[in-house]
Amino acid sequence: MNSFREFYRINKDKLFGYLLRRTGDYHLAADTMQESFTRYLERYDKTELSVALLFTISRHLLADNARGQRMTVPFDEERHDRIQGQDPSLIREDSQHILQAIAQLAPEEADILALVTGSNLSYKEIAKINGMSEANIKIKVHRSRLKLKKILNAGEL
Amino acid sequence: MKDYLISLFIDDELDLDEKIDFVESVHLDVSLKDEAIDLLTQEKLLRSDMVTSLPAATQIIRQSSWKTIFLPAWRPLLAGCALATLAITTLFLLRSGPEPGQEIAQRFVIYRPNTGNMAIMGSFTDWNPLPMEKIGASGYWSITLRLKPGEHHYSYMLEDGLQIADPTVPFQESDDLGGENSIINISTPI
Repeated sequence: MNSFREFYRINKDKLFGYLLRRTGDYHLAADTMQESFTRYLERYDKTELSVALLFTISRHLLADNARGQRMTVPFDEERHDRIQGQDPSLIREDSQHILQAIAQLAPEEADILALVTGSNLSYKEIAKINGMSEANIKIKVHRSRLKLKKILNAGEL
Repeated sequence: MKDYLISLFIDDELDLDEKIDFVESVHLDVSLKDEAIDLLTQEKLLRSDMVTSLPAATQIIRQSSWKTIFLPAWRPLLAGCALATLAITTLFLLRSGPEPGQEIAQRFVIYRPNTGNMAIMGSFTDWNPLPMEKIGASGYWSITLRLKPGEHHYSYMLEDGLQIADPTVPFQESDDLGGENSIINISTPI
């Protein structure tokens, strides 16, 4: 359990960084992050701790969410109070602009860009999560960046 | 055009030879230099904190939805009841064991956006490919099967016939044909 706690401490913000960029939604990202760790602990407790597996669980949760299947996130009164007490604009204004631009990318492009820029995972780790070759990741990451630049420059937002 | 080197440079994925190549290319090609500056500036925004505060760390526990039911005042009584229930359940299970043949729903999900078809095959299909369902445009494929408790071996098959193990399952074995199979153990719920 102690090693899982350490695993949580090290990867919590990386996973949130990815989820925020992927969803553009603070609360959905925070809930998915918590639920990912809970599922990991429930289902894979006996296995070696793997960052790739953690991110895979998160992506499956996002897919479920996109299909309209609600996650079983328990109501946490303490946490709810804390969120209520926060500034409603949890995402910085200049970042809202770029998150909206990411949302205009194709899902696969947004996903790879969110993994690279939000989580700081290496291409090797991302290739493992995506089931692609590293060479493929290299190309797709760069194309996503160029497309994002085009969206931002076009002022389509 | 070596513009893809910009992303490798940003992501710290260049080896020393590639770094030399990149610096020389940027020095010789003004448009490449401008593109690099633009993407680096964009990257600063992409990698910024983005939020005014990160979500607070919360305790991750199993079956956390029970948390709200187990109020502190009830805990000693509930702990006693839980121990008694556990003892009775253990005795019951030791006497009766899991119900034979009881099937359990197991959902298989895999992310493969670039394939037109996806199938699952395993010990539970007599190694015959069973088509999976595409989840909209998400790139995910899924299928839910009812499996008997016990160990099962399986793999996924892409449209080109390539057989791959489940990336979310850590236990794998090599088959006789050079492919990798995943191994899961389905247990009867108590």
